[in-house]
Amino acid sequence: MSRRVAIVGTSAIPIGRHQSADDDELQNLEHEIMTRLVSEAVRDAGVEKKDIQSLIFTLPRPYTRQKYFHTFLMGQLRLACRGSVMEVMGNGMTAALAFDKACDEIMLGRADVALVLGINMESAVSASEHMMSSMRTTGDVDFHTSAGFTPIAWYAMDAMRYMHEYGATREQLGSVAVKNRFHASLNPLAQYRKPISLEEVTGQRPIVEPLGLYDVPPRGDGAACLVLASEDVARSLGKPYAVVRGRGFCHDGTHQISDVPNDMIAFDSARDAAATAYAQAGVGPADIDLAELYAPCTIVEVLVSEALGLQPRGQGARAAFEGETRLGGRIPISTSGGLTSRGHPAYVTSLYNYIELADQLRGRADERQVHNARLGLATGELGNYNAALIHILEAMQ
Amino acid sequence: MSHDVTTPSTGLAALPGIDMPGVRAYPPRLSAFTQHFWNGLRQGAWQTSCCQDCQRQTFPPKPLCPHCWSPKVGWSPLSQRGLLYSWTRIHAAPAVFTAESPYAVGIVDLDSSIRVACRLVDVPGQAFTPDMPMEMVVLHYEDGPLFAARPCTPA
Repeated sequence: MSRRVAIVGTSAIPIGRHQSADDDELQNLEHEIMTRLVSEAVRDAGVEKKDIQSLIFTLPRPYTRQKYFHTFLMGQLRLACRGSVMEVMGNGMTAALAFDKACDEIMLGRADVALVLGINMESAVSASEHMMSSMRTTGDVDFHTSAGFTPIAWYAMDAMRYMHEYGATREQLGSVAVKNRFHASLNPLAQYRKPISLEEVTGQRPIVEPLGLYDVPPRGDGAACLVLASEDVARSLGKPYAVVRGRGFCHDGTHQISDVPNDMIAFDSARDAAATAYAQAGVGPADIDLAELYAPCTIVEVLVSEALGLQPRGQGARAAFEGETRLGGRIPISTSGGLTSRGHPAYVTSLYNYIELADQLRGRADERQVHNARLGLATGELGNYNAALIHILEAMQ
Repeated sequence: MSHDVTTPSTGLAALPGIDMPGVRAYPPRLSAFTQHFWNGLRQGAWQTSCCQDCQRQTFPPKPLCPHCWSPKVGWSPLSQRGLLYSWTRIHAAPAVFTAESPYAVGIVDLDSSIRVACRLVDVPGQAFTPDMPMEMVVLHYEDGPLFAARPCTPA
């Protein structure tokens, strides 16, 4: 990388219920939230309006009434740009791709400062209605959706297979949810912050067996803005920043499921993308201080941590149960509270993951601070980790 | 684009059928290509596309071979039995499926090394367990068929 990219500013709303019901007299308008976040993030960074030359947005949910949200917001901000202004869509990978594209803008020299930002509003739409759309995003809409598959049903089948092959237990998987809730209790941006016990996790009603309510992601609304800058600009600001040191991507050439039988829970794309990112960064899994994983369910956090080499194969659930991934443990994972407790407004979820890494690497994570955090890793994914996008960030003082 | 589509081999044992009440909750679309699969399934035929250049099957059936990108695909029978790779029971379902929930779905590795994902049919006394033997069946709804799998009946 000839030009390195840094995160220099962030802003986000706490994940939760922000979307108005249609009949509410006063509505929360997405663009009013977004313009406030832009001004806060830019102030945090210490850059100026005229420095910003590219804005990469995540696609809003279809429930957002204002269409062409990105160019509408340019008008709200009266921001003239010569780089790129666009919306990115990649289902679960949407926000990771938006971040990646904003990095490209800086590496290509189209911008010295770029914003990556977006809003995901969906909580006023019921889960069963929302699933009418989301069930069409995973698998084949004619050959799979007709059988009633839902997005998290695939992760549930990962869990069933993992327990079968490695003898992992419901309690071991559930410990991931307990750990994430503890982390979320320390994060003001998190949706669910009241600590929970393992008995509460395993006692929840089943959603997709063997996963219960606390093993799967809650639904919620979120919005965030990150300010990215060339390292030259970041250095000139005179504050700690987080630099992108490695990046890897892999799509395994399947959508949800391979018709050639394979090891479905190996998450080969994550392993492959991580190898690329580690090589570019010149580091290995043992050098990573913390990881913010795109892991919608407890089982996914386990499988991704194994694919990344942070845990040996088949040992991820046991390691989580024994506290290795908790704050203070050998390799803290999802210090934000993760998708299960920090929250999962899907199209902006990865923005919150990068914000957590930036907070940790800039030494601003308060009670959640990982001592001497230097290298952090984030993942984004498509399908059942059929594609993975991985970034390794480094703290710069 | 033209496809060299041949008829399935005759004399093939039809899949066992199960009559289902009502219509399919989210019926598949048919194309000029896939209608061969769905219309055949209605008769109990369990088949998929097979490349005439590289000889590989793929599922769901595709008019372009995903392995070698040859458009010369025909049809060939699929194994009717296999092993359950994994499964789940869906309790929180999309609106159109809530009347059927909870329902089981799973992944079956057919004996001919093709992996399929489908609805599972409960058989009393045979709890779903990964690696258990399964057989494919046709669910006959009033508006058309769906494919599914169930534990093999003990011999």
